Formats: sequence, structure tokens, C-alpha cells
Amino acid sequence: MEYVNPEGIREDGRRPLEMRHLHAEIGTVARADGSAVFEMGNTKVIAAVYGPREVQNRSQQLNDQALVRCEYSMPNFSTGDRMRKPKGDRRSTEISLVIRQTMEACILTHLMPRSQIDIFVQVLSADGGTRSACINAATLALADAGIPMRDLVTSCSAGYLNSTPLLDLSYFEDSAGGPDVTVGILPKLDKVTLLQMDARLPIDIFENVVQLATEGCKAVANYIHEVLLENTKQLEYRRGL
Amino acid sequence: MSARVWMVGLSAGEKHFIQGGIALDLRADGRKRLTYRPIYADGSARVKMGATEVIASVKLDLARPNPSQPGKGKVSLFVSCSATAGPMFEGRGSEELSSELSVALQRCLLGGKSGAGAAFDPSCLSIVDGKLCWDAYIDGLVVSADGNLLDALGAAIKAALTNTRVPVANVPAGASLDEDPDVDLSSQETRRIDTSGVPVVVTLTKVGRHYIVDATSEEESQMSSAVSVSINKEGRICGLTKRGGAGLDPSIIINMISVANHVGEPLMSKLDSEIAAAEADKQDI
Repeated sequence: MEYVNPEGIREDGRRPLEMRHLHAEIGTVARADGSAVFEMGNTKVIAAVYGPREVQNRSQQLNDQALVRCEYSMPNFSTGDRMRKPKGDRRSTEISLVIRQTMEACILTHLMPRSQIDIFVQVLSADGGTRSACINAATLALADAGIPMRDLVTSCSAGYLNSTPLLDLSYFEDSAGGPDVTVGILPKLDKVTLLQMDARLPIDIFENVVQLATEGCKAVANYIHEVLLENTKQLEYRRGL
Repeated sequence: MSARVWMVGLSAGEKHFIQGGIALDLRADGRKRLTYRPIYADGSARVKMGATEVIASVKLDLARPNPSQPGKGKVSLFVSCSATAGPMFEGRGSEELSSELSVALQRCLLGGKSGAGAAFDPSCLSIVDGKLCWDAYIDGLVVSADGNLLDALGAAIKAALTNTRVPVANVPAGASLDEDPDVDLSSQETRRIDTSGVPVVVTLTKVGRHYIVDATSEEESQMSSAVSVSINKEGRICGLTKRGGAGLDPSIIINMISVANHVGEPLMSKLDSEIAAAEADKQDI
């Protein structure tokens, strides 16, 4: 099966090192403390943050830091075949855990002891790279909520098909059964906070693919910076500054 | 019911303000009692009414029709509430509200067991009588909740149905239909569903002695009862739901129904024009 044709063009018309079109909006859920919609190509994800607020379940309260909770869900209609169970299945539980651990690493939880921060991510449309889109959306939502963080977390995926490293896999490329590497980084601190891979890769090619995904993360970070800057300007403008 | 009230911590002064304002036909956001918030309907069905945002989608799957109704496809409807609308919808917290919304909408839109009174004719989903049909799955998702979820969902489902294109399937003549036949979907032709009969839902919320339309969640927390009426183009009632603990005099309910009818007409035409505009935009692209 050909995923990269002889001229070097992928199934959706992109070049191997090209990311999909990015689009983000902040503040879409009015009742949430912070919210954002993040699109990577046809993958569209909405994240809402509620907190810091009082811990609902006293037994889980932490005396020296904030409790971070996360729920990921995909509605029935977001993928090609209609899914039976929107949440609570194994994949959703795993991704919720991954997002929680990634965000927990960057939130300055020690500043908000005995409180709870809820991050809810809802996939509206899935076309590959949902994990990354969720992390990017969560970062924006946390920034919108004004929650103190060490750095933004950005994420991107990369793969290796037809002997070519490919950036930002779509669902079609992801379902090819080749390797799928998801990387999450803290761009300013230049640290990797998430690294997941499935299938197999020789080690030297693995380094290339991770490097490619990291470059993708940095591109996302630039875009997120622009979006946040624009949002702040709008807020200043509305306050008459 | 409890799910609706969780987030609204109103002081006595604020409650008084809301109730007093409604009595004077001046609500907290400046609207009159019978004015809807600005509605934005977006093509394949995302509807915003103020801060309430819902999404609806229609998915079609090949299936065998019900033996009791061989010439029609099956339609099922299910609503779920995303946790993004609020922490109370996390995990299984949304089950109660989702079931309530699903059942209310099923009642208005799917008609009776025989299929009579359904919003649209499911025989447009049939491919081969008795053997093959399209099953339509209507899914609603509440993304952001600020009151009046039923009306918004009704509008979104209407938009989604209007936007749906049923592929024209050709079954080769003489093919055996006892096992899965080879269905030819290559013609890329599609049919539209006739949604002129799809009703809209108008919810009237009674606060004190007056009714308001399109309540925000703060206003809903002050309600004594609410009546949701589903009305179609001909002004006929397709479904009726009363919520809330307070009892209502029958004459008040009749009155509310006629008010709903009166408010439903401009809502229906506003919706139709928004949906048509969004469809036209899509075609331009």
C-alpha cells in the first residue's frame, strides 16, 4: 500500500515533513474557567478547565499540592464507524491518564494545595493525532483559566511509512499499522514530558522520527504563542487599555 | 433535575432580582420574557443559543429493516452531555440528564411504535423492501450548558437532518439478498431527507407568575415548572413535556401551549433561514 507516492506526496497532498493546518480558539465554553478548541487538520478537540476549586472527594485531597483530574471522551459520531461507548472504555481511560500525567508535570501544583483542577477533553472529530490535539487544547485551556504553569506543553505525532519519516499522521496513515510516535515537550525548557510509541522501529530511525515529532511540537508551540498573544491583546482592548 | 441546579449559587438578593425582573418583563440580560437569545446554526449542526452550545450529527449504517416495517429504515436518537459543559457531567454524572433529554426528544421526533407521527418519513431510508435499509443514528452532544438545552438540541437535530445526504444505493438486479448483498454505492448520488415536517421545541419556563422563553441556567434555577412543547410548521403539537415539582392549573397549560405556538413560528422561520444560509455557504465552498 502506498502512503507516499514516488513524487513524495502523501495521501492528503502533504509533503512528509509538513504539518496539517492548525486552528485554535480560546474561551469557547463560557461557563468554564478556561476553555479552548484546537484543530489539527480534520481532528477537532475541545477542552474545558474547571478550577482551582474545592476538592469534591475529601479522601483524595492532597495537603501540599493541587489534585489534577482529567477525563477524555469521544462521542459516538466522531469516527468513521459509530462507537458504542463514548467513555469508560480502556482507550479513553488510558488517554485520560496520559493527559493528566503530562499536564500535572507542568502545572505548579504546589501553589494550590488542597484544591482540585479538572480538565475535560472532548473529541469532536477524529482524524488521527487526537492525543496530541487534546494536550494542545488542554494547554490553551489551562492558560485561559490563568492556572500557573512551568511552561506550555505541546504535542505532535510522527510515523515512518514507505521508508519515509512522516510528520503529523492522519487516521489513514495511522491505521496503516506502522509506528506511531507521540511526543510532548516543554518548549522553553526544552524538555520531553511525553513519549509514546507503538509498533517497531530500528533505533537510529527512531531517533530521527522523535526529532521530527519534536520539531512539530515546536511549530505548534509557536502557533500557540501567537494565539495567546492575540487573545491577550483582545482582552486589553476590551478593558480599554 | 439536580444536575441543572448544581452550579448556580445565587444569593437571596440575586434571586429576588431575577424574579422581580421577570415580573416586570425585563430579564437579567435585557431580554423581554418571550425573546430568544441570538441563534447561530452552523451547517452540519452546531447550534449556539447564548452560552449554550450543542452539536448534533446523523450517521447512516446499512442494516436489515424491522420485519414489522419492511419499507422503512430504523431511526434511533441519543443525547449525551460532555464533561466540558461542567464537572457534574464527568464519568456517569451525565446519565440522568442525558436520558431525560433523549426521551423527551425521542417522543417529539420519532413518533409512535408504528412509526406514525414521526418527524420525517423513514421510508426514504429504505433500499430494498424487507431486506436492506439505512439505519439512522441521531446523536446529540451538549458542549456548553447555559439553560434551554431541549430547544437547542431540537434545533440542532433539525439542522443535522436537513444537512444529511442519503447515498443512493444500487443493488444489482437478481442478486441474492439472503446473505449480505453487494451494494453499489459508487454512483455518488445522494438524496435529501424531507425535513419540512420536523418540529421545533419551545420550552416555556414559569418563574413566579410569568413564563419566559429560552431561560439561562440562572433563570432555570428559579423556575417553579417548565413546559416543553414541540410544534411543527402547521402549528400542530408533536410532543409535550412538563418538568418541575409545582402543579399547574390546566388552563395555564393551555395558555402556555398557545404562547409556545405563537413564539414557535418566528423561531421556526429564523431556524430555517439560518440553516438555509449555512447550507448555501457550504455549497459555495
